[in-house]
Amino acid sequence: MKNTAIISRLLPVLTFLLFAASLFMVFIYVPTEETMGIVQRIFYFHVPVAWIAFLAFFIVFIGSIMYLWKRQIIWDTIASSSAEIGLVFATLVLITGSIWAKPIWGVWWVWEPRLTTSLVLWFIYAAYLLVRSYASEESRGARFSAVVGIIGFIDVPIVALAITMWRTQHPGPVIFGGGLATSMLITLLVCLVAFTTLYALLLIQRVSLKKRENEIKILQNDDLILEKDTGG
Amino acid sequence: MENAGYLFASFTIIWALVFGYVLYLNNKQKNLKREIDLLKKVREDENTESAINS
Amino acid sequence: MKFWNKVFAIVWKDAISEMRTREIIFSVLIFTILVVVTFNFAFGASAETMKLVAPGILWVTFTFAGILALNRSFIPEIEEGCLGGLMICPVSREVIYVGKMLGSLFFMLIIEIIALPVFALLFNLSVLSPQLITITFLATVGFVAVGTLFSALAVNTKAREMVLPILFLPVVVPIIISAVKASGQALSGEPWGELSSWLAVLGAFDAIFIVISFWIFPFIIEE
Repeated sequence: MKNTAIISRLLPVLTFLLFAASLFMVFIYVPTEETMGIVQRIFYFHVPVAWIAFLAFFIVFIGSIMYLWKRQIIWDTIASSSAEIGLVFATLVLITGSIWAKPIWGVWWVWEPRLTTSLVLWFIYAAYLLVRSYASEESRGARFSAVVGIIGFIDVPIVALAITMWRTQHPGPVIFGGGLATSMLITLLVCLVAFTTLYALLLIQRVSLKKRENEIKILQNDDLILEKDTGG
Repeated sequence: MENAGYLFASFTIIWALVFGYVLYLNNKQKNLKREIDLLKKVREDENTESAINS
Repeated sequence: MKFWNKVFAIVWKDAISEMRTREIIFSVLIFTILVVVTFNFAFGASAETMKLVAPGILWVTFTFAGILALNRSFIPEIEEGCLGGLMICPVSREVIYVGKMLGSLFFMLIIEIIALPVFALLFNLSVLSPQLITITFLATVGFVAVGTLFSALAVNTKAREMVLPILFLPVVVPIIISAVKASGQALSGEPWGELSSWLAVLGAFDAIFIVISFWIFPFIIEE
């Protein structure tokens, strides 16, 4: 018990410190890239956001498998919480990708492999959450969305492969030209760690919130039974 | 400093959406608290009722 | 071999009920041809343009028809309460999956066999190449492999058949991309070598998703 309390106190502080550090590195420490100018700095947040979108999806995948296997609600709670957060970050990937594309390539959207795959990922997240809300009962919703989570996760690499093959026939804009200078690499890594801690923080919050929601639902059902008895 | 607007926009959007999600979680927590308080009240009322009846 | 007997029984039951009413096959067929004609109007007249957009039109049409076909594979079961009857039978869930999948496969193949010549007629393209037939077959197998799974899922939700496209379309993006690209090459008369990478994607998709759907299906229809 004590350990989790310590972690839950430390984690927000750690997240804050990491983000302070990454802001410093992105805006003060790292040199400006020559070809793209200061807009290139979006890269230091765009890449971690994309990383989190995919990491969250991996957690959805694991949670879905474990739920179908063990049928313990906690796994469904983890999966659905991760899906919510993942959707937020998938949205951010698309938006920041667009904002980056506009000054660099002059258009808001490019059918570049990574962006396009992220678009499909966004739709699969949306399908996961929609299936949950459209199910007739909670337990069905959990089961069905677990199926979507599993199929979706296996599908994404194939989608990425097909899209990459499709786009290399008509070579499009490339996101990374050449290698990264060390300072840029370090900045990127700090940002990656910062966002990963943020994800962990959000996930833990969402999961504990969902657990309380589930407990309340059970209590409410109990109360209904109680009411019937004393209503007599 | 060309295109600084885009840089600002992207960072702001990230901040806005993450913050928005945090607000959404906060809202849910408030609703949860309300439910708990309601349930507590219902329980109290029932306890006093059965105390009176018995 | 009892497995295949049971599978065949399910396929046969669906085929008979379809042949008796013929309600779905005609509407899907007319729908398919209508979509092709509408696209024709939408994309104008020049022969070069048509050659470019033809594969895309073909596969969008088959995708829409496929969604209609897949919906019909489970909706009657729910409406007439047959699904409960099916589950009481001493057949494993996997039999139901394979049976439904093959039923949808045959249904779609029939639609495609009729639609392709119509398409060839309207677009002045040759569709009888073995390449195109292979592509169509592989892509259709992939559609029904995932589609049967999602259809069973969709009919159990409040929004029913409207959920199917939302689930289905993102997942089959690789099929659509590969089928369109490969069809384009096939219609230009390219040799097998050029198509091989796209056929590999289709083949891999089919193999992976037949296995996965087969394994996951029982989780959808358990009660």
